[in-house]
Amino acid sequence: MEKFDVIRSYAPRLDAPDKATGKAIFTDDISRPGMLYGAMLQSPHAHAKIISIDTSKAERLEGVKAVITSKEAGTIKYGVSPARYDETVFATDKVRYVGDEIAAVAATTLEIALKAVDLIQVEYKVLPAVLTIEDAMKEGAPQLHEEFAGNLCAEVHQEFGNVEEGFKKCDIIKTTTMKSKRQDAAFIEMQACLAEIDRRGTLTLTTSSQVPHYVQRTVAMVLGMDVGKIRVMKPYVGGGFGIKAAANHQELVCCILARMLNKPVKMNFTREQVFKYARARHQFTHVITTGAKKDGTLVALKHECYLDGGAYTSFGIATVYYSGALLSGPYKLPNMSYDGYRVYNNKPACGAQRGHGAVIARAAFEQQMDMIAEEIGMDPMELRIKNMMNAGDTTCNDLNMSSFGMSECIEAVREGSDWDKKKGTLPKGKGIGMACGFFVSGAGFPIYRSDTFHCTVICKLTEDGGAALVYTASAEIGQGSDTAFAMIVAEAIGIPLENVRLASGDTDMGVDLGAYSSRQTLMTGHAAKEAGEHVRQQVLEVLATQLNTPVEELDIKKGFIEFKNKTPDFSALRTRYIKEHRGWTDNPDSEKLTFKEASRIAFLEKGSIVGTGKYRPHWLGGKFKGAAVGTSPAYGCSAQVAEVTVDIETGQITIDNITDAHDCGKAINMNSVEGQMQGSISMGIGEALHEEVIFNDKGEVLNNDLAEYKIVTSMDMPPVKAIVIESDEPNGPFGAKEVGEGAIMPTIPAILNAVYDAIGVRISELPLTPERVYNAIQAYKEKKSA
Amino acid sequence: MIFTIFCVRHYEYDVGIDIFLSTYRFLYDSAMDYQIISINQKGENFMLLPKFEFYEPTSIQQAIELKKKYQGKAKLLAGGTDLLVHLKKKLITTDHIISLSKIKDLSQIKEERDFIEIGACVTMSQLSKSKVIQEKFSALKEGGDNLGNHLIRNRATIGGNVCGASPAADTLPALLVYQTQVLLQGPDGRRKVAIESFFKGPGKTIIKDDEILTGFELPIPQKNCGAHYIQLGKRKSSEINVVNVASFIEINPGNKTIKNCRIALGAVAATPIRSFFAEDALKNKTADETAFYEAGEVARRKDCKPIDDFRGTAEYRRAMIGVLTKRTLETAYKQAMAQ
Amino acid sequence: MKRIINLTINKIIYEHAVEVNTTLADFLRYELGLTGTKKGCDTGDCGACTVILDGDTVNSCLVLAVQADGAVIETIEGLSNEDGLHPLQQAFVEKGAIQCGFCSPGVIMSSKNLLDKNDNPSNQEIREGLSGNLCRCTGYTKIFEAVSSQCSDNKGGSHGKI
Repeated sequence: MEKFDVIRSYAPRLDAPDKATGKAIFTDDISRPGMLYGAMLQSPHAHAKIISIDTSKAERLEGVKAVITSKEAGTIKYGVSPARYDETVFATDKVRYVGDEIAAVAATTLEIALKAVDLIQVEYKVLPAVLTIEDAMKEGAPQLHEEFAGNLCAEVHQEFGNVEEGFKKCDIIKTTTMKSKRQDAAFIEMQACLAEIDRRGTLTLTTSSQVPHYVQRTVAMVLGMDVGKIRVMKPYVGGGFGIKAAANHQELVCCILARMLNKPVKMNFTREQVFKYARARHQFTHVITTGAKKDGTLVALKHECYLDGGAYTSFGIATVYYSGALLSGPYKLPNMSYDGYRVYNNKPACGAQRGHGAVIARAAFEQQMDMIAEEIGMDPMELRIKNMMNAGDTTCNDLNMSSFGMSECIEAVREGSDWDKKKGTLPKGKGIGMACGFFVSGAGFPIYRSDTFHCTVICKLTEDGGAALVYTASAEIGQGSDTAFAMIVAEAIGIPLENVRLASGDTDMGVDLGAYSSRQTLMTGHAAKEAGEHVRQQVLEVLATQLNTPVEELDIKKGFIEFKNKTPDFSALRTRYIKEHRGWTDNPDSEKLTFKEASRIAFLEKGSIVGTGKYRPHWLGGKFKGAAVGTSPAYGCSAQVAEVTVDIETGQITIDNITDAHDCGKAINMNSVEGQMQGSISMGIGEALHEEVIFNDKGEVLNNDLAEYKIVTSMDMPPVKAIVIESDEPNGPFGAKEVGEGAIMPTIPAILNAVYDAIGVRISELPLTPERVYNAIQAYKEKKSA
Repeated sequence: MIFTIFCVRHYEYDVGIDIFLSTYRFLYDSAMDYQIISINQKGENFMLLPKFEFYEPTSIQQAIELKKKYQGKAKLLAGGTDLLVHLKKKLITTDHIISLSKIKDLSQIKEERDFIEIGACVTMSQLSKSKVIQEKFSALKEGGDNLGNHLIRNRATIGGNVCGASPAADTLPALLVYQTQVLLQGPDGRRKVAIESFFKGPGKTIIKDDEILTGFELPIPQKNCGAHYIQLGKRKSSEINVVNVASFIEINPGNKTIKNCRIALGAVAATPIRSFFAEDALKNKTADETAFYEAGEVARRKDCKPIDDFRGTAEYRRAMIGVLTKRTLETAYKQAMAQ
Repeated sequence: MKRIINLTINKIIYEHAVEVNTTLADFLRYELGLTGTKKGCDTGDCGACTVILDGDTVNSCLVLAVQADGAVIETIEGLSNEDGLHPLQQAFVEKGAIQCGFCSPGVIMSSKNLLDKNDNPSNQEIREGLSGNLCRCTGYTKIFEAVSSQCSDNKGGSHGKI
């Protein structure tokens, strides 16, 4: 095995000391002299025609600097995917959900801005609203967007192999329906932004975003400015989980106000507005039919899915494809069909959230795997291993598993959870369940059609070689990417981690598509590695000339120059270095030539040593419509075992523990890999047990705070055993691939399978609130006694 | 009277009059006139507090004078965990806030021979740490320990929890089973009211505009008594109860019959209520599993009148009253036997 | 209407005029520039604004600045000094207990207060002592490990695994 000096260790994160001491700066921590405060007027109605907007009273209020509506902001359409731009900064003719933006104010204080918002008079004609998929699809239902008849935002129809023929060969066919609820990502930092424009016309937007690059492009398009005149920076970001992966209207409004007024403008979402903006996981209804032979061989899968999309598309086109595409693995499955429908209605738009599109489909499918195993009397783990794809296999929809430690993951959780001893032997009320899952390590294509590099990285040595400075436009949003890239660069050059400094999250530093689809470790990691290697090569080449040694015989390890054969006499170089630093007391006296000396010499010969790196995946996927979605250079995979105790009388579920094994390829930072696994599990538990966004019949979110939207607290989190499985991914930098999203895939179905094991009844609707579990137990009892 | 559908949770002082837990929306549809305040009807999005005058009286007398002066318009501030949230969310407004934190008398737990007096501004954390509460009023401790989370418990006061008059409030069932007297003081002097008759409805109490709740008097339970409290929610911290129950039991140690028993149910009526039918069913019965189960059944069928809301259906609430009643009785009994 | 308040924050005495409707969180953040105290909800649900007020942790978004008149307050900025990080902060760094870091100041203040009051909390007590601090990134596991490593039983080098 290749020996690494920096990666594959438990490294303290670069940002942790600042974050532990309160020094780390997040967007709302920044203020500017003369800064104005922005506030928005949002629709109180789920569906209404705007008859008139009167801003005159608001404008007259002292301290108000501007009141803007679509008149000032324009009506350029934007969104996530160019194929479906269906939003404007402000509603023009009508509002489509409670929270649709109508106008905004900038004022000298927040208080005045809010008062001014209150003074804007809007006359509405309230229209009938549709709040569910069912109502939206009814004949004659009110239409949200004229262009999309029947409120159908998108539909997908795919078939790979021949499903009907496949079913004919099956001994067992299972059909189940599974429903989930809308989620909220519930990151702790609410969206905030600060826009400012300098005297030369450069607009700088500082924002809590996962994707400075896409925000930059959207701002450029909507404001009609050159990309070169716009700089988007993200300071530290308090989580995103997919919701901050596109430009939001607040960012656009803030830029418009700043440009108009030539003053810095700051805007913040309240927690309530976070819920109004939404863009988190859709509500899914899956109808899945799986066919297998009696020896357990999977043959065919028929899948139908309905997505409750809300008023706009956001990531929805990708979501509806992802929901289908990612069931083609990790099991060998020759025949698969998918019919997906994303439906508009008068609720806030849904978008992408950790495990984009695939989480509930996975939850439904993995339960069917258990049903089949039960029916044929096979251990659920055996059934999965029997059908498991191997490294190098390609799914029926052309996804290639270039590395695949799935079976190793299953074995690890089998042993780690003591599965063989527990499965089938636990008392009533206690249960054990497992599931598998996999996910992309970065989308194969950018969101907009382009041949762009997905990321670029610059690495520059300080003139004394004391530090490698890394510049990347990637987005550290809490996942630990800054540390991972610094480690990769340190490894690539051959220097200790403490000699690498890194700056990120700024569009001035290059192109990086950002933190979504679990892409950064693999993609930006590649670019970082290449930039580091580029620097290393330049230093070694200078050294080779100076020492008259072939460059192939030189290496850098732990900050020292290694010579493969005989160490040449480098005393002249050392003397030259020391002469450069007269009066300094820390002159090198090591037996080995140091990297510092070598890079100083390189600088003296060549000037600044700058390395660049870039990455763009090779062409991936098939040729059918939608083939791009689901493609990735690599796939991470995982298996989990959940143990639960169900209070049969009340329906309350306690998760006793979870054992998780994840194949992330070669782990860069073990701390971060385990952290992603544990965090994914916590989010999965919340979604499985108590998270749902609840609306009233007016389309208002009832539980729009973190008291009533119930994420996992410290009291709910079970002990987690996180086992890192390291395959060697040929397409990954140093063999690395994803962990950020794949790790959530098995959590929900593992819990569902464990609950079934505990109470003998399957529950087809999430979340598993005590009441839902109680009702299921009662219904089961009645059925049994009848 | 304005009720809101907005389901605010915690626990505070005297804002209750305007606050209506969604739990009780349907129950009162016909009985009372209410209006649904749409959240943010005007796009007021930021959580700024309104402007108000702020008073910090140092004696109860001063506080009463202020309250009298502003009649119903002043709000009392104790822990702030409800009042400030409601003000920020614009569920209520006020021009005058009277802080009680400078009145030291209100923050004490006094132990007398036969009873204890808990000041209105005693926090949940204080309750939890108090020796006499731990030893003699364990159900109240459990109630306080389950309220919100550690941060809320450091601020939320028992007076606030009671005046909020939420049917699901954590300390109320225990206060009911311990036969608590509510101590009120106004310009005309003091009065004591049995806690059963203190609540008039969700967020509604019998406190007059010029009165202040100063504390609670709880008789110290005698030997052979035990009590227990259980709440049911969706997660294990920071919860708003779907239902909650406290039971108090006094046994004849000789024959293990139930001499006395009190059961209180939360979130199944407009106020927390006593489960009188279940209590009657247990009187003089031998304390055993069957008796406790049957008491639960009686409580479920006869005593509770729950409604549906987004936290739970009436049917589920009913069923859980049965389970929690039985379980609280079992633990209370064990405690009584252990004495 | 402004009022003069006197209070001690991180051992420094402040005399300041504040509006009575300013919360302690906003006062710390926007008037004193102590932005280490975060706001994640403004309604006492998330714990990101946790500070220690007269020895007890509170949501500073639910305390008026005027209520803190005469109080002694510790914020995250007061924990580290010129000698470096507080051992608890160091433990959070080393155990990987910090991801996005937005909840971290609040979590660390709650942990500190817990350990101040009880130098050897049990695992259950650690969970309870953090029950008001929501963290969406870490799943709490490494936070528990970090706090546990600072218990008197574990300080001798045990890894504080839970």
